[in-house]
Amino acid sequence: MSCNSSVTRVNVSSVGQAQRVPVHLLPCEIEHNGPAQVSQYLTATTKDCKQEKMVSFRGRGLKGQELSCPQGYTGFVLKETNKAGSDQEDRTVKVSSVFDKLTYWNLETPPNSDDTVVMAMDWPELAEAIHGPVED
Amino acid sequence: MDLSPFESDNSVSCRLASQIPDVCRTEDCCLGIDEAGRGPVLGPMVYGICFCPVSKKQELKDSKVADSKTLNEVERENLFQKIDESKSYIGWALQILSPNTISTSMLQRTKYNLNAISHDTAIDLVQYALDSGVQLKEVFVDTVGPADKYEDKLSKRFPGIDVTVRPKADSLFPIVSAASICAKVARDRVVKGWSFSEDMGDVEADYGSGYPSDPKTKAWMLKYLDPVFGYPQFVRFSWSTAQTLMDSKGVTVHWDDDDEDGEKGAQRQNNKSMLAYFSASAGGKGQTSTHQTHRFFTERRLKSLDAL
Amino acid sequence: MATKKKRMPNMQNDSWVVIAADSAIDTQKHDSEPAFVRLRNPVTDAASLYMLSDGDVQLFEVKAFEEDFHSWFVGQTVQRDGRLLFVTPMDPLYLMLPYLVKVGKEGKFQPLDQVVMDEDFPACPRLLSCTRALSSLHHIAEEKEVGGVKFHRYSQEKTMNWLKKKVERTVTVLKARNISVGEGVKSTTYIRVKSESDYHPEDFLRYAHGILSEYLSEDLSKALLKHLQLPELTSPKEPEPPSKKRKLSELPVEAEEDYTKFNSADFARKPPKKMTAAQKSLAKVDKTGMKSMSSFFSPKVKAEKK
Repeated sequence: MSCNSSVTRVNVSSVGQAQRVPVHLLPCEIEHNGPAQVSQYLTATTKDCKQEKMVSFRGRGLKGQELSCPQGYTGFVLKETNKAGSDQEDRTVKVSSVFDKLTYWNLETPPNSDDTVVMAMDWPELAEAIHGPVED
Repeated sequence: MDLSPFESDNSVSCRLASQIPDVCRTEDCCLGIDEAGRGPVLGPMVYGICFCPVSKKQELKDSKVADSKTLNEVERENLFQKIDESKSYIGWALQILSPNTISTSMLQRTKYNLNAISHDTAIDLVQYALDSGVQLKEVFVDTVGPADKYEDKLSKRFPGIDVTVRPKADSLFPIVSAASICAKVARDRVVKGWSFSEDMGDVEADYGSGYPSDPKTKAWMLKYLDPVFGYPQFVRFSWSTAQTLMDSKGVTVHWDDDDEDGEKGAQRQNNKSMLAYFSASAGGKGQTSTHQTHRFFTERRLKSLDAL
Repeated sequence: MATKKKRMPNMQNDSWVVIAADSAIDTQKHDSEPAFVRLRNPVTDAASLYMLSDGDVQLFEVKAFEEDFHSWFVGQTVQRDGRLLFVTPMDPLYLMLPYLVKVGKEGKFQPLDQVVMDEDFPACPRLLSCTRALSSLHHIAEEKEVGGVKFHRYSQEKTMNWLKKKVERTVTVLKARNISVGEGVKSTTYIRVKSESDYHPEDFLRYAHGILSEYLSEDLSKALLKHLQLPELTSPKEPEPPSKKRKLSELPVEAEEDYTKFNSADFARKPPKKMTAAQKSLAKVDKTGMKSMSSFFSPKVKAEKK
């Protein structure tokens, strides 16, 4: 556990260089952090049907849909710049990409409103109710 | 043979068929079934049926549409030409199972194995002939599996039709041989003209026979292995050749149903929910807190973090 | 099929996918530097991650949507960590309450900077810089000013009234978003057929109270329940080790497992898990006339729905 005194600063000026990118949430764990030919394989073979998108990944059928970020919210991908040596030191992250919608994929199941990630999007509005200012 | 319906989307299964000869709707007919491309790790598997009046059996035999396995590609194309020219009394239909269909079916959560796929496809094609008004009396089927069981299954499914299932039926019955020629010609053409929907630039088209044992196929599989995506949809991911190569040279991917077979899977799910239970109180390090996270959050898989 | 590999730990995670309130990461103000900090979580009493905007004006909460076996494609890269972080505005009073309550037990008025401090959490006093902290403090404390210096004392009465308003606000959003507040049931059938009017008003109150209790000590949570005139439930809130088997007669109102889902259309629609040969042959058995397993459990659960 890192030290309670260390803070992680977000370098917002990096937003200027951040690219707007497509993001996909996949129903599998890929043991890899790094480059991938997403547009060549995934995007090129994705099919848009009425209510859902279809694609396959590693020979398995995926069904998915696009989700917009809740209103007043923006998607960011934060990346750590020069990792701190110890857990006492402050860290810095920069904004490496931005997005306003994401595509999530289920393994074989058609996307529906009960999918956990769809339900999770309830959170910002609920948070506003719980945390917004109360009138006197 | 117009392959464009399949080529417009080669990720799904597709049916191609000739016109139904009028005579097949009025006379008793025989029908042969065979498949092409069961073994290869590349390209589609094609199921074919051919049918003609029982009275035309001798004519078919005389046209030398026999023993399709002994033919080379050119001879097969020529014989297909002959079959196509006899459209006044011979009809055919094909089901092209795309490699993507094969992969996703065989790797489905509820596994759909190749034998079951084959049987269902054959049944669908016979049903198609019946629905088109073909007066079926005899059906001949080539099989790689146990013939008796399959014969029983088909006989029960199509009462009133005399079903014969035999290994190597294509060398025994000309109508099966004709079906085999149609299927093989379609498979050859599809493989040759495969258009990759992936954005892969110029793809080496010399993939050999597509059989895992073919050195050309092997070399191609090595060359076109992508560490993350594995292969284009031209490859059958469910083949152990592909799996082994991805395991050794690709990035490891884990699915929630890995290793899952019935009880094992249920067990894992149990363990998972138990773990979720214990981790319910966020960041509780050495805490005596009995707090249980509200279901609004657990149902949405939302939890507090104690570090980035 | 090839043998499945073991999962290796993700040691070098250095990127995160985040959905953040626009006020948290103000992209117009390029020189701003919001920061993730660790503060004492009022419920667990342990460290949790929060965010303070530039100049500590605003506090944000960080929650992670996390499901096993997920990863991201971000542009032309893979990010193995499949979590989705939410950065949402947070009322700083929730984090200040435990400190005020603790000191309030002495009954004295105190200067805030002597109350809102924590040697385990150096960032704690920064809460006092939040604009909302000072302007809304009167919701939870009484104030006295002596010689230009302000002193505060925790007020349970004020706090309860404040929390009640929070509950009411929450209920409004629960209704507006049509969130299923039925006891422990999460299934398409119920979400779809049940509309707001099918629930008892108490269901909403209790649910909202439950959500708010994610920010309150156990004592405050109980006091709020009383203040809302909701009877305390006996069993469901008391967690029990999962290994301990309960007798059927002792099933709590809030069933831990949702047995009804096995009857729902939703369940049927999802592809079942792979079956063993034995299970497959069982599945083929004609079950007409057989009582389904769920029917032994459902009447009790269903009764709650009426």
